[in-house]
Amino acid sequence: MIRFELNGQTVTTEDSPDTPLLWVVRDTFKLKGSKYGCGAGLCGACTMHVDGESTRTCILPVGSVEGKSITTIEGLRQDGELHPVQQAWISHSVPQCGYCQSGQIMTAAALLEHNPDPTPDDVEAALAGNLCRCGCYPRIKAAVLAAVDATDAMEGTS
Amino acid sequence: MTLQNLSRRSFLAGIGITGGGLVVGLGLQGCSAEAPPTFTTTDFAPDAFLQITPQNEFRFICARDEMGQGVSSGLATLFGEELDVDPTRFDVSFPGVHSAYGHPAFSGIQSTGGSAAMRGHYLPARQAAANVRDLILEAAAQDLNVEKSKLSTDNGEVIAGEQRYPYAQFITTAQSLPIPEAAPMKAPEAFRYIGQDVPRLDAAEKSTGEAVYGIDFDIPGMKYALMKRSPMFGGSVNTFVPDDIQRMPGVVDVVEISNGVAVVADTFWQAKKALDQLNIEWDTAEAAKFSTADLRADYQTALDEQTGSTTDEEGDLALAFRNGDTQIEVDFWAPYLAHAPLEPMNAVVKVENGEAEVWTGLQGPPFAQASVARALNIDKAKVRVHNTYLGGGFGRRLLATHVAEAAEIAAATGHIIKLIWTREDDIQNGVFRPASLMRMKASLDSEGTINGWMAKRVGGNILPDRMVGALPVVAPDFVPDGVLNSVVGLADTAMSNWIVDGSSVEGLAGDYDLPNRVIEHVTVNHGLPLSYWRSVGHSYTAFAKESAIDVLAEAAAVDPVELRLNNTRSNPRQHNVIKVASERMKSMEAEKVGSLGFAAHSSFHSYVAQVADVSVQGSDIVVNKVLCVVDCGRAINPDVIRAQMEGAIMFGLTAALHGDLDIADGRVVQSNFHDYPLLRMNEHPDVEVIIIDNDEDPTGVGEVGLPPIAPAVANAVFAETGQRLTSLPLRFS
Ligand code: FES
Ligand code: FES
Repeated sequence: MIRFELNGQTVTTEDSPDTPLLWVVRDTFKLKGSKYGCGAGLCGACTMHVDGESTRTCILPVGSVEGKSITTIEGLRQDGELHPVQQAWISHSVPQCGYCQSGQIMTAAALLEHNPDPTPDDVEAALAGNLCRCGCYPRIKAAVLAAVDATDAMEGTS
Repeated sequence: MTLQNLSRRSFLAGIGITGGGLVVGLGLQGCSAEAPPTFTTTDFAPDAFLQITPQNEFRFICARDEMGQGVSSGLATLFGEELDVDPTRFDVSFPGVHSAYGHPAFSGIQSTGGSAAMRGHYLPARQAAANVRDLILEAAAQDLNVEKSKLSTDNGEVIAGEQRYPYAQFITTAQSLPIPEAAPMKAPEAFRYIGQDVPRLDAAEKSTGEAVYGIDFDIPGMKYALMKRSPMFGGSVNTFVPDDIQRMPGVVDVVEISNGVAVVADTFWQAKKALDQLNIEWDTAEAAKFSTADLRADYQTALDEQTGSTTDEEGDLALAFRNGDTQIEVDFWAPYLAHAPLEPMNAVVKVENGEAEVWTGLQGPPFAQASVARALNIDKAKVRVHNTYLGGGFGRRLLATHVAEAAEIAAATGHIIKLIWTREDDIQNGVFRPASLMRMKASLDSEGTINGWMAKRVGGNILPDRMVGALPVVAPDFVPDGVLNSVVGLADTAMSNWIVDGSSVEGLAGDYDLPNRVIEHVTVNHGLPLSYWRSVGHSYTAFAKESAIDVLAEAAAVDPVELRLNNTRSNPRQHNVIKVASERMKSMEAEKVGSLGFAAHSSFHSYVAQVADVSVQGSDIVVNKVLCVVDCGRAINPDVIRAQMEGAIMFGLTAALHGDLDIADGRVVQSNFHDYPLLRMNEHPDVEVIIIDNDEDPTGVGEVGLPPIAPAVANAVFAETGQRLTSLPLRFS
């Protein structure tokens, strides 16, 4: 049995320890927001936060997250409010097919956690591992930078 | 559409209508395996598209499939405009198979593609909504006892003098009235939503992980299936030993079906681990054995030695070439490509008591219905399809072979099956954009007129392959498979010998005034399954045509943009996008990082010109910026148009810079994104889009931004380095 924290709740699973975290979260815990795109750590569709670090979970055995804290797109809201990155995604009409977007958003949110004031180049570097077949890159970049501004503005007023 | 309401709707549709209130006729006719989702008995459902609840909520059933192109937002805007309801208020869902949802631009076939939704639905959608609004007004006039002409509407409310009433207040009376058929529609000056940047209706659920794709749909008791298919095209299963595999943890069954062998297990991972251990010996007697180099040599021989079918001929080409001042001849190559939508193929299928139920995301639910009916040998009416969001389409999801596979596995094992293709399956066992070798010859006279144009394309045709999927949709159930297959076979033979699939040569001669021209096609078929891929033939013909124009300009020492302007006088809309782009290009000269390249190409009834700013660093081609000018008629939603231009440019850059699918000994060499790379965030150019404002009827946007990008980059690479790259992907030798 493996125990870890999933979006703030302690959970346990009987899935075999080599099962990638992605499939445990999707199929055992029925949180479908994280996606399967390549199964090989190449596209970023499966990105979650593992102890705050953006991580490819299609190649991460669930046995290795024992005791760790996992956040998925479903757990990104803070006090019921959408994360500033999500708000920026909506206001920029970023998604097209949308399939990559959970991964993009999780990577962007982790970036802002570590680097609250990224340059456009920082954004490109941080998101270079998240593929978008629909080609939403210009909007993704604009939305991340807008989320930075929105966060700055909020902090400025508080 | 979230998981919750998808199941609610399926549930309600499944149990039928219960409870109090009026049963509302759907106003639907025609054969149907299922009516559209019906919510409660008290909702007002005047037609197949709109439902108004007693709470004055608006539900919109979107006839076209949402694969990211923004069609649900676009169609909702057309309906919202004439119903006079803010489209962002619509709760959108997607129907199963029903004749009411046929595509007006596809002879009524219920499918999505060809950049045809706004073109096909612009008038019918608005008329349908205008009729419902008129009906509400008629009902309001009766209920309020006011003359109809004294009433108006505003965002879902009827206005009578100072008073406002929700539409819902009149739905009981409306249900008893006949629906008008030709209520007046708004004049364009009165549009409130058409032409505005209405926010995408699906942006929120696609930013929270709530949007449901086929791969997300679960049913209690469902098992997971993964498959191995022949690695060589045309191979089949010879032997395999299931025993050890069957004993692996979680494995429920190992079955052979028509397309290969499936491992069925309790979880994806158990199925995957077991499948990895499964050894299959393939029968390769019938299988393809060629490699890309052989194919290219065969194409070259055909190009040099065979006379093809003439698909277009005008004037006297030989005379023109004698009279011309400057002549060029260049060959261009474009490889096979995979679609690689980010959501790999998948389907959930339940087979029970001779009936089947399917959950998947397709560019046309009838393709799933027909494929499953054929696979299980049951009537189409016994197959019920639920369509979800598509995690990318690009033509790939016009095919339903994976749904048929899932149905076969479900029938063979007695389990509800979720079949998932791995990314490797997607790249190696999919269907492909056909490879092409093209020869372009052109002649320019002393006046700067292109007086001769000859284009010849060698490659396979998509249409015969697609008929395998499409024919069962329109063919009655009693037509046996053998007959269908022989019709397909006939089509294949016809295309090899007498006629040409229009999509094989589309775009080779369009756009320019070409008084003397010949377009020829030689079909060489290596047996790979082919399919429509975003912008279809234009994805390679534009590269040849627009590169050839620059080669001709270079040879004649004239400005390539001037050459385009001089030779598009009979094509005013194409001429105009070239002109607008050329003016912006002048100011880009001052801003550019590298060198500029120009290309223009019309497709799907829209006109596009692009300018690419390109640098070369070592052997890397870096695209800094792209300007895109598009004339797609009236802009329904300018922001969706911009998004589609951006997306198509990125998709086209993946093909221009990276896209290569090699065949070695009959198998695809590439397997995942490490060797079939997609454009990445750090490679993307800035994109500036200029939309030509006009009153023409709306035309395509999903594909039209793609064709000019490869030649624009190739032309910029020439400007930057003096090297003319004639093969895709663009690489320095
Ligand atoms: S699915 Fe994990 S990186 Fe692609
Ligand atoms: S929105 Fe479709 S893959 Fe990114």
